[in-house]
Amino acid sequence: MKIVVGIKQVPQADSVKIDPQTNNLIRSGIQGVINPFDKNAIEAALRLRAQAGGEVILLSMGPDSYVTSLRDGLAMDADQAVLVSSRALGGADTLATGYTLAKAIEAIGDVDLVLLGRQSVDADTGQVGPIVAAYLGLPQVTFAESISLESANTIIAKRQLDTVIQDIKVTTPAVITVRSELNRPRYETPVNIKQSFDKAVTVWSETDLNLDPEQIGQAGSPTKVTSVYAPEKKGRQTTTLPTDPTQAVVELLNKLN
Amino acid sequence: MDNNEIWVYVELSGSRIEPTSLQLITKAKAIADGRPVVAVIPEATTVQAETIVSQYGPDKIEILVDDRFAEATDEEVSDALFQVMDKQRPNTLLFPATILGRSIAPRLQAKLQTGLTGDCLDIYFKDTLLVQVKPTYGDNIMCDIVCPDRRPQMATVRPNTFRAVQDSSATTKIEKPIFEFHKEEAASILSTKPIINSSANISDAKTVIALGRGAYSEKNVKLANQLAAKLGGMVGVSRPLTDKPEFGHDDQIGQSGNTIAPDLLINLGISGAVQYAVGIKNAKKVVSVNTDKDAPIFAQSDFAYVGDATEFLTAMLGQVR
Ligand SMILES: Cc1cc2nc3c(=O)[nH]c(=O)nc-3n(C[C@H](O)[C@H](O)[C@H](O)COP(=O)(O)OP(=O)(O)OC[C@H]3O[C@@H](n4cnc5c(N)ncnc54)[C@H](O)[C@@H]3O)c2cc1C
Ligand SMILES: Nc1ncnc2c1ncn2[C@@H]1O[C@H](COP(=O)(O)O)[C@@H](O)[C@H]1O
Repeated sequence: MKIVVGIKQVPQADSVKIDPQTNNLIRSGIQGVINPFDKNAIEAALRLRAQAGGEVILLSMGPDSYVTSLRDGLAMDADQAVLVSSRALGGADTLATGYTLAKAIEAIGDVDLVLLGRQSVDADTGQVGPIVAAYLGLPQVTFAESISLESANTIIAKRQLDTVIQDIKVTTPAVITVRSELNRPRYETPVNIKQSFDKAVTVWSETDLNLDPEQIGQAGSPTKVTSVYAPEKKGRQTTTLPTDPTQAVVELLNKLN
Repeated sequence: MDNNEIWVYVELSGSRIEPTSLQLITKAKAIADGRPVVAVIPEATTVQAETIVSQYGPDKIEILVDDRFAEATDEEVSDALFQVMDKQRPNTLLFPATILGRSIAPRLQAKLQTGLTGDCLDIYFKDTLLVQVKPTYGDNIMCDIVCPDRRPQMATVRPNTFRAVQDSSATTKIEKPIFEFHKEEAASILSTKPIINSSANISDAKTVIALGRGAYSEKNVKLANQLAAKLGGMVGVSRPLTDKPEFGHDDQIGQSGNTIAPDLLINLGISGAVQYAVGIKNAKKVVSVNTDKDAPIFAQSDFAYVGDATEFLTAMLGQVR
C-alpha cells in the first residue's frame, strides 16, 4: 500500500499571543511542531504498512523550516518525505493548499491512501482533507476514529456524528482524515532518529509540479483575512454568595427564580 | 454575479433536524437586509423536514428528494448541492459547523471554486461582503475573513452560537429544483447506529451540572447526578475528567468538546481555562463553585460560591425539591 500523509507544521500549542498594540501575531521564537492530529495520521499509516506492506510518504506544503517536522515524522518511521515549497505558494488559503497538495499526490503517483489530520490546530479549519479528496475525485471519510483494512483495496472506517456512529466502507484510492481517538502516536526511537537522516526529503516547486499560477498562493486563495485581534472577554456581573453553604443555596435559588 | 440569496443547508440525521440549521435561518433573516433567505434540504421522501423548517420563516425552501439521502456519502450530498448551486450561485451559503457540515461544505467549496470559512462565531454583512468572524489557535485569536470575488460566500457556523426563533409571519415558497442523484461507487455507508448512552445531548440540555478536576470524587459524581436528575438536567465535565471511567468525550464541555447553551449552568471545581470558557459563553445563568477565590471561572459567572464542591452539592440537594 502506498500511503501519503499530509502534515502541517504548527506553532507549539498555547504559545501564540496577540500584540495588543499592533494586533499582530507574536510568533517569533515559537517552535514549530507537527500538527498533533497529523501524528495520529502518521501512526495510522505506519500500522497499515505493518499489515499490508508498502510505504509511507510524508507530504507537506510550506516554507523550508517545515523540514524539521518532516524529519520528526521520518523519525517515527515513515519512509520518505516530500516538501512543496516556494515563494509563490505563500499566502495560500485552504483551497489553494488543497489544490497544491492534490497536484503533489498526483505527481507522487499510484497512491492508494491519503491520510490527513481532522484539522490543524492553528487554522482550525479541517477543510484541506475534503478539498484534496474533491480535487482527486476520491471518496472521503472525515473524522475517522477507527480504520480497518477489510481487503487489499477496501477499508472500513468509523465516523461519529452528533447523535450517530457511521460505518463507512471505501474502496481505495481514498482520502481519510483522522481524530486523536484513533490511536496513540509512537515515540521516536534513537535508532529511527538516526536512520531518519538517511531518508530522502524531496523538495518540489510550483514548476516541478506544473501548477496553475492562478490556483496557488495568494492568487489562488478566494478568502482574505481583513483583521486579526484578541477575542473580547465578555465578563459577567458576579454576585458572591455567602460562605455558609445552606445560606448560599437559599439566596441563589431566590435570585434565580 | 450571484442571485443575492442567503442559503442555509439543513442537516438531517434520520428525521432529526440539526438545531444549528434552524439557528442559521433565524440569523440569516436577521442580517439579510432584503436578501431572500433560502433553506436547502436534501432528504428522503418520508422525512418532509420542510413542514418544520417553514415554521422558522425562510422565504423559500428548496427540497432535493431522493430516498438514498437517508444514508448518502459526503460526495453524494455535495454533488447534489453542487448541481443546484452551480446554476444559481447564491450570494451566501451557510452550514452548521457540525462534523457533517465540516465534511460536506469543503468538498462543495472545491467544486464551486470559492472560499469557505470554518467554524465561525459571528457573521454579518458589511456592504456586499459577508464578514466571517473565525477563531483560530484554539479560540485564542479572532480573524475577520471575507471572500471578495467569488460566490457563494461560504461559512460553517458553530452550533448554539445563535438562537432559533419561529416566525409565523413569513410565507415560505417550496420548490423542487432539478438534480440527479449520482451514486458514488467507491464509498458506501454500511450502517448508522445511534450513539449508546447519549440519547440526550449535553449541548441541548436546559440545565447542566459541570464537574472539573477539583470536584472529582466518586461521591461528587453521585451527588451531581442526583442534582441533575432533580433539576431535569445533565452532568458535563471539563477535559481532564474525560479520562475517568464515568465520563467520555461526549460529556466534555469546551473548545474541543461541546458548546452548551443551558438556562442554568453550575460549575464545580473548574478553573475556567479559555478552552473551557468558550464552550459556556452562551449559557444564560452561570453559577460557579471553587475553593480558590481568584479562580478565573468567577469572571465568567453570575454567581460565585467560594467553597467546597461537596458542601455546595449537599446543600443544593437539601434545598431543591
Ligand atoms: C487545544 C486545547 C483544547 C482544549 N479543549 C478543552 C475543552 O474543550 N474543554 C476543557 O474543559 N478543557 C480543554 N482544554 C484544557 C484546558 O486548558 C484546561 O486544562 C482544563 O479546562 C482544566 O480543567 P479543570 O478546570 O477541571 O481543572 P483545573 O484547571 O485543574 O482546575 C481545578 C479547579 O478546581 C478547584 N478546586 C479544587 N478543589 C476544590 C473543591 N474541593 N471544591 C471546589 N473547587 C475545587 C481549584 O481551585 C481549580 O480552580 C484544552 C486545552 C488545549 C491545549
Ligand atoms: N500546508 C500543509 N501541508 C500538508 N498538509 C496540510 C497542510 N495544511 C493542512 N494539511 C493537512 O490537512 C489537515 C487539515 O488542515 P486544515 O484544513 O488546515 O485544518 C491537516 O491536519 C494536515 O493533515
